[in-house]
Amino acid sequence: MSKPLNRRKFLSDTSLSAAGIMLGSNLLGSASGKEPGISPYDAMKDVMKYRKIDGHAHPDTDLDRQIKFADSLGIEWLQISRPASKEDFKPEEFRENNDRVHAAMKKYPNRFIGFFTVNPRYTKESLEEIKRCVDLGMAGYKGYTQVKVNDPLYYPIIEKLIDLKMVVFLHTETQLGVGGYRMKYDVGKPPNTSTPEDFVDAAKRYPEAMFHFAHIGGGFDWEYQCKTLKICPNIYVDTGGSNNEENMIDFAIRHLGEDRIFFGTDNCYHHGVGKVLASNATEAQKRKIFFDNYNNMLRKGGHNVA
Amino acid sequence: MLLDINAYVGHWPFKQLQYNNCSKLLERMNRFGVDVSVISNLNGVFYKNTQSANEELYDEIRSNKRFKDRFIPFAVINPIYAGWREDIEICVSKMGMKGLRLYPQYHDYGITDPSLIELIKLARDRGLPVAFDIRMVDSRQKSWLDIPKFEPREVKYDIITLEWQLQNVVPIIKEVPDAKYIIVNLATSINLNDEDMALIKKADILFDTSGRTIRGDNTLGELLKRFGNDKFAFGTHSPILDYLAGRLRIESMSDSEADETTKELLRSGNAKRMLG
Repeated sequence: MSKPLNRRKFLSDTSLSAAGIMLGSNLLGSASGKEPGISPYDAMKDVMKYRKIDGHAHPDTDLDRQIKFADSLGIEWLQISRPASKEDFKPEEFRENNDRVHAAMKKYPNRFIGFFTVNPRYTKESLEEIKRCVDLGMAGYKGYTQVKVNDPLYYPIIEKLIDLKMVVFLHTETQLGVGGYRMKYDVGKPPNTSTPEDFVDAAKRYPEAMFHFAHIGGGFDWEYQCKTLKICPNIYVDTGGSNNEENMIDFAIRHLGEDRIFFGTDNCYHHGVGKVLASNATEAQKRKIFFDNYNNMLRKGGHNVA
Repeated sequence: MLLDINAYVGHWPFKQLQYNNCSKLLERMNRFGVDVSVISNLNGVFYKNTQSANEELYDEIRSNKRFKDRFIPFAVINPIYAGWREDIEICVSKMGMKGLRLYPQYHDYGITDPSLIELIKLARDRGLPVAFDIRMVDSRQKSWLDIPKFEPREVKYDIITLEWQLQNVVPIIKEVPDAKYIIVNLATSINLNDEDMALIKKADILFDTSGRTIRGDNTLGELLKRFGNDKFAFGTHSPILDYLAGRLRIESMSDSEADETTKELLRSGNAKRMLG
């Protein structure tokens, strides 16, 4: 920013103003044609240039509408799951949620990639449910806030997912007063919400596992997240969430590298696509983020798309 | 023509911003085909004497002849700080500013404060639009130094940003229903009762397309039906939010949601009408 006006300068400026040199005086009369130097940027052409797998979505109450959204932004595939935030998420409830995901997969078999959910507090039922869901053709796991990812209760789940070559994908938060971080500001979130530090702890214990840290655009402190997760090459992030702050993608590429970032929306489609296209990522990096990175992860378990 | 009604230069004290001066914003506009941006100085959110921020903006725009043709400056005014009436006069008459940006939460006054009512009436009489932000940043990633989410007596230690909803702006529109209003970054609930919705539909009011609430059940196509084609305009909330999401909400609409004439209203037509 320039220095403030001093009095003499101000008087000088006002005389210029009086002479007609006012700011923004004739801008609204601009012709419809672009001025030299302004790109004739075609936003939708840019959107449709990239194949996309949405690595973080949930089945909408209206699946037809969801597919319409996806179509409007060139999203070919959406990974969907139905985890729950309630602390005592019972086996009959996670089975029902998984059945709803499976129903969505059946309705749109070439659009939805189904992920199952469980509650690690119910070890036996969770492992049985994983087997059932794998048999139904589901491709990975999404957990929520019942148990922190580095809690020993998670160990059997993580070890099963390692066997299946499936990703360990969890809801995360990084804000004041959540999950053990600066709890004097307690905002009433579930105490077992996983933080970046929890992910690093689990990822170091299981270097052979693939961890997916949910939505750096989930409204949380993405700078804090990326700086913490940087040291673990087996932790991936997705770009989803309702927060689309500028520089999020560039910052993530700089700290995590271009291979550890998945495109995701968390059902926030316009800002999901917009934040990637508005970044300074190269064409090749955008292709990786929008499609290749996620498909390469799915390929390890044999669930990649054509 | 693309006219962005919601952009800024200046600093946010808790996070480094990119593209936050006229030169960098102009590069952004050129890359993505935006012709003109309405801008104000973020520093004015934090200066007690906001006129210093307006002077900075005036100086910066005048520092390069290209800026004068691409930016429409709005003045940040605090109606409970000394000299605000004179500040408006200087900003409008001498500096050529075309509207006012107001921050009741950051400047610590209520939405029906008598000084605000006086300011809005003054703006109305001069034909100046007045702009309110529903929120500046997402409360979940805010700094411990930012404004609180709840009243202090409600939650003692919580310091998450107090986020307005659209209904929080309604009282001032009731007080001065014939002023020109711009409300940006619809990031929270936009639900209104029937009486308030009738007031909004009748008012000369413009929402920008930058806010995250414009999704799901509140697609832009649905909101055009609910509020009217004349009530929305392209906005980015740059450099805080990404430069394209507000644009994609317009451009990705199907023909049945918005024809080309309506999209042109959103790209610049409605903003031109508001800005005169």
